[in-house]
Amino acid sequence: MHAGSAGTLADGRRRSDTALELLQAQRPSAWPRVLLDRAGRYDADGAFADAEAAGAWSVWREVMSTSPRAIIRIVSESRLRGRGGAGFPTGDKWRTCHNQTADQKYVVANGYEADPGALLDRTLMELDPHAVVEGVALAAYAVGATKAYVVVKSTYRTAVRRLENAIRGAEQAGYIGIDALGEGFDLQIELVELQGAAVLGEETTLLYALMGKKPLPEQRPPYPAVQGLWERPTVVNNVETLAAVPWIIANGSAAFAKIGAAESPGTTLVQLSGAVAHPGVVEVPLGTPLREIVEGVGGGVARGNLKALLVGGAPGGFLPADGLDIPLTFDALEAAGAGMGSGTILVVDDSACIVDVATLMTRFMNDEACGKTIPCRIGLKRLTEIGERFTSGLTRPTDLTVLRDLCADVRDSALCGHEYAATNPLLSGMRYFPQEFEDHIARGTCPAGVCRRLSVAAALA
Amino acid sequence: MTDLAIRTRRPAAPAAPTTAPDAVAERLLDTQSPQRPQVTPAFTIEVDGRQVTGHAGQTILEVCRDNGIEVPTLCFEPKLPGFGACRMCVVDVEGEEHPPISCSRSAEAGMVVQTQTPRLRQIRKTNLELIFSDHNAYCLPPCQNKCPSHIDIPGFLKANTEGNWHESARIFKRTIPFPSVLGRVCPAPCEEHCRRDEVEEAIAIRDSHRYAGDQVLKAQANGAPAPVPFELQRKSGKRVAVVGSGPAGMSAAYYLLIAGHDVTVFERDPAAGGMLRYGIPQYRLPKVEILEGEYEAVWQLGGKLVTNAALGRDFTLDDLQNQGFDAVCVAIGCYDTNKLGVPGEDADGVLDGLEYLKVATLGLPYPGHAGKRVVVIGGGFTSMDCSRTSVRQGAAEVTLVYRRDMKDMPAANEVHEMLEEGARAIFQAAPTRVLADDHDRVTGVEFQRMRLGAPDASGRRRPEPMPGTEFVIECDRVLLAIGQGPELDWVGRGAEGVTATKNKRLAADAVTFATGRRGVFGTGDVRIGASTVVQAVAEGRRAAYGIDAYLKGLDLDAIKTRQTLAEPQPEFLSIVPYADEVKEPRYRLTSMPADVRNKSYVEYEIPYTQRDAMAEAKRCLQCTCEAIGYCDLRRQGIEYGTTLKTLEPQNRGAYSFRSVTENRFTGANHDYIRDDSHAFILREPSRCIDCGRCANVCKEIVGAACYDFMRTGFDTLVTTPLDMSLNTTPCVSCGRCAETCPTGALMPKPRVLEKYDVDETRCILCGICVDACPYDALRCGPDFELTHDSRAEPMVDLMATSAIDRDSEVTFIRRERDWLVRAHESGRSLNAGVMLPVLPASIANGHGNGNGHGRGGHGQDGHGHDRHDHGGGAGGGRAHAR
Repeated sequence: MHAGSAGTLADGRRRSDTALELLQAQRPSAWPRVLLDRAGRYDADGAFADAEAAGAWSVWREVMSTSPRAIIRIVSESRLRGRGGAGFPTGDKWRTCHNQTADQKYVVANGYEADPGALLDRTLMELDPHAVVEGVALAAYAVGATKAYVVVKSTYRTAVRRLENAIRGAEQAGYIGIDALGEGFDLQIELVELQGAAVLGEETTLLYALMGKKPLPEQRPPYPAVQGLWERPTVVNNVETLAAVPWIIANGSAAFAKIGAAESPGTTLVQLSGAVAHPGVVEVPLGTPLREIVEGVGGGVARGNLKALLVGGAPGGFLPADGLDIPLTFDALEAAGAGMGSGTILVVDDSACIVDVATLMTRFMNDEACGKTIPCRIGLKRLTEIGERFTSGLTRPTDLTVLRDLCADVRDSALCGHEYAATNPLLSGMRYFPQEFEDHIARGTCPAGVCRRLSVAAALA
Repeated sequence: MTDLAIRTRRPAAPAAPTTAPDAVAERLLDTQSPQRPQVTPAFTIEVDGRQVTGHAGQTILEVCRDNGIEVPTLCFEPKLPGFGACRMCVVDVEGEEHPPISCSRSAEAGMVVQTQTPRLRQIRKTNLELIFSDHNAYCLPPCQNKCPSHIDIPGFLKANTEGNWHESARIFKRTIPFPSVLGRVCPAPCEEHCRRDEVEEAIAIRDSHRYAGDQVLKAQANGAPAPVPFELQRKSGKRVAVVGSGPAGMSAAYYLLIAGHDVTVFERDPAAGGMLRYGIPQYRLPKVEILEGEYEAVWQLGGKLVTNAALGRDFTLDDLQNQGFDAVCVAIGCYDTNKLGVPGEDADGVLDGLEYLKVATLGLPYPGHAGKRVVVIGGGFTSMDCSRTSVRQGAAEVTLVYRRDMKDMPAANEVHEMLEEGARAIFQAAPTRVLADDHDRVTGVEFQRMRLGAPDASGRRRPEPMPGTEFVIECDRVLLAIGQGPELDWVGRGAEGVTATKNKRLAADAVTFATGRRGVFGTGDVRIGASTVVQAVAEGRRAAYGIDAYLKGLDLDAIKTRQTLAEPQPEFLSIVPYADEVKEPRYRLTSMPADVRNKSYVEYEIPYTQRDAMAEAKRCLQCTCEAIGYCDLRRQGIEYGTTLKTLEPQNRGAYSFRSVTENRFTGANHDYIRDDSHAFILREPSRCIDCGRCANVCKEIVGAACYDFMRTGFDTLVTTPLDMSLNTTPCVSCGRCAETCPTGALMPKPRVLEKYDVDETRCILCGICVDACPYDALRCGPDFELTHDSRAEPMVDLMATSAIDRDSEVTFIRRERDWLVRAHESGRSLNAGVMLPVLPASIANGHGNGNGHGRGGHGQDGHGHDRHDHGGGAGGGRAHAR
């Protein structure tokens, strides 16, 4: 994969000591870079000056002389949408927060990356920590926050070290801190390490953890932008969203809006995993058809035939093989029953059983639930049990109906995105692979031969 | 007071705005004293088509509740902001895709809200079903479940432990009017399921209420009034005719009389009692002392009796209704003995078992019975009575033949007594023909052996004939006791509208008991076929509710819901074995020797002594859910139809039960061990629904934070850290967790049936017992002076504070202020800044009126005890009190 010698990447950039493998070789050179533009061009563990020389913090001084409203306007015009999975317009969120009157506002950068299989935020934070910190500073300036938190999973030791380095560098350079750049703007950025269940990635849960409380999600509205940390207006953005902001300010909203799809412009990080020939993380313009990502960059399935794509991580949805033509946008994926989610694309070949994978994902979501609400704690358990009955040949006659009804009820009474999205794997599996479910339920067979207990059950019957 | 130092937490909370102590106190006074009417701006929203007024800052739920619109909640605690865990309070807001929850969503002007759409009800029902699928608990104790009439068994046993027989009988009479009768003739299905069985042996429930009932009857004989279970209602002026004075008719009459109706009972025989009088022998149920004594309670309430008047023979339904009876309750029972259906059964000497018993129970010898060889066919209570009576009447040889196995007999527990008395029994044999001589006199019966096949609808194995195994029992008399059906020949003539069912029962509704004819109700054996006395009594009582509703002009369909609420179908599961319980074997009734009793009609069981009766009742584990009647989950489960489907047992035998976790989601469920280590709070985590109310109240209101959500995923449970005992947590025994718990997961510790002994030699005078006692049963005595002197801080005058009622915050602060003044005067050192952070200067410097102090200014020097635990000193304040 790495054409160049050790320490240097194929395109001549310095190879970082990260364990991550970027899919650089297969990436079409025509795809623009926004998030990982500077990646590898400076030593993230090195001096602040190096990063500055590579282009970090280039717009900060200029921004200080601009009004926060103008910053928000630029972000709005760029039509940047949140990369945390939901795709909420970032400019709108900032404006809401900006318009609140409060003695204190906060910015929280969510780098928790709940999906244990995803490495996207980690890649970003390790390769260009300054983009994240600068994005946080810009957001804080725009909404009028004087305190910001960057939340990282505490197992991401490299990312933690580099972000600390970046924050310390910016402070020492006087870019942030008390009276930053002498412009009278106070900003304290604090790095917070957290470790917990996957549900911590949910924004209200994250805020509770930040406040030192038991991390349980909270009903929205009121949204955090109105009432967040300690009941003060709080902007919670994914690190990927924030990392795009310095580029937008530097290059203008029009340049950003030109990249990718019209309704969701820009680039995003995508991780290919599963039965793909070249797994790894790659920056992709939104709107790119999945085919170009999976087959073009990832090299297609390693062996066998493509059966499905699980887009969006554990709470993501299955897409059938002919879903390769679906463009990578929030709306198109949502309409297809999947979602951007954590940004991972799990490639499933025909040696896997959809029912089995969907059950596994549901079980994971149940295990990682905080247990606050009934539909999540017990509902997801029951969904898992139904899936397990499918794969073990012990299906009850009512199971399929109960599964559909329960999914609908869980989605309608969901408190947070965790339980809502947890129904995706089974629902989308049933939508695109009805035959496979039918085989398990009615005939007691598993076409992929994965569910071995089915044959045992058949033998016993 | 280093405890008060602010602990820094990362990230740190913003510094609290510096407020003068006075302002804090004023705010305390404002928020905790009675609130003035809302003065925030009002607006209008539409809820379920109604325009209602809300105020700024209110949630949708608050607006709804203020306007009397009920939105179900489980996790909502009125003192705290909405939590949003139970998802029961979902409402539809026009223009929103997903229904928000009303406890967290603030109301806005112009909102259009729906609270009861089918979709919302479906979501709530799903939630409830999910909760129930992991609710490994029971509402009623199993004994109460299994009783067809659902007697409050733990309740009357509790009264028994105190020797309060009158109260015990009163509790019993809430569901069955005849404790002594049932104490003799009931097959006691309750005892089969008693959880004391897990320790050693079931409680003698029947013998216990028999004793209580007997005591009441003795008192009654001496002129004491019979206990009346409910307050007597005002006379309604309505007249009810009850046809039949058996257990069903009489219990219907009893509860109708209590409901204020005028009841006349019609009996076809010369005396009241029905099967109780003419079907059950004297040695099992003494007629005069017990039966008539208990019936007396009905006549005392004003019931009238007309004897020698049979429906169809002496009058018709038309007659009754023409005489001005507003309702007629038909409870004529089953007297039509089934036929064998084999050749020769019309021979001379083949007798109807009931006819035989009727003569025998009158104390008369049945003609020509002595010295005869008798065969009794059947396995029910009638067959048992026939056999044992035949023995007493001097039959030479008595043989009982039953086609199933002994354990399948309805009267299985009586077989041994019968055998002791000298009868013999043959099982798994059925008659094929009756042999007779030339004069058509019985000489014997030919039987065929039966083998047991697959289980049938009743759960018992079906007997199947084995050809070639015929044998003959020679005999002179054959008594048939193979079941009875109702006599329905009166149907039709003068009773238009009343119909019979396919299997020859009176057609009447299972809940309202209404027949096809307006104002006519059917209950008891005539409706359900021959069954036990306790079932007949239950039928009669439920019919009384139906008739009462009809007489009050209520919609009979509407009462179905009410009846369902009043008579929940059994729900039971479980459970953790009682390993720790001290073993104490059952107190058994003794019987007379068999060779004495088989010649006598005297009641053969020797009753309890008073000591035995009380000791037996003490064995009761009191395993009822204390929350029953207060449980939100149960109430909503009933409202949303998730806990019970019907009142009628569905082909699962008479005493069937459904498990509460049985619904479409049934799957894995948790079985937690209950924690009764705390003295006042009982934790039953299997009943916990994880609403988080206790955790929030304990944390936000009390400040102790004993509970929180522990673990993740399906195994999440609101419990103490590491599931430790409450004694190990900072619990202050305030009981607010038990108060807020919507189910029975946290309860004030249930009835403890012993008294406490205090070992004074071990008492360290810590005073915790005094602090915690919810009833002020314990107080500080003079000995506390010894410990008092060693304490640095001054103390509040405990005797004075205990003399007043629970005070408001204002009086509390005033009292503190008075204490402060007195402390100053007595020259004791104190630091007001530390001890009284909430005392506003305006009050501290003012002059109080000594409110609440029964004693003079010197009282504080005597029996003091600290009551401070407010503010930041929640821990510290208590610490120095110890």
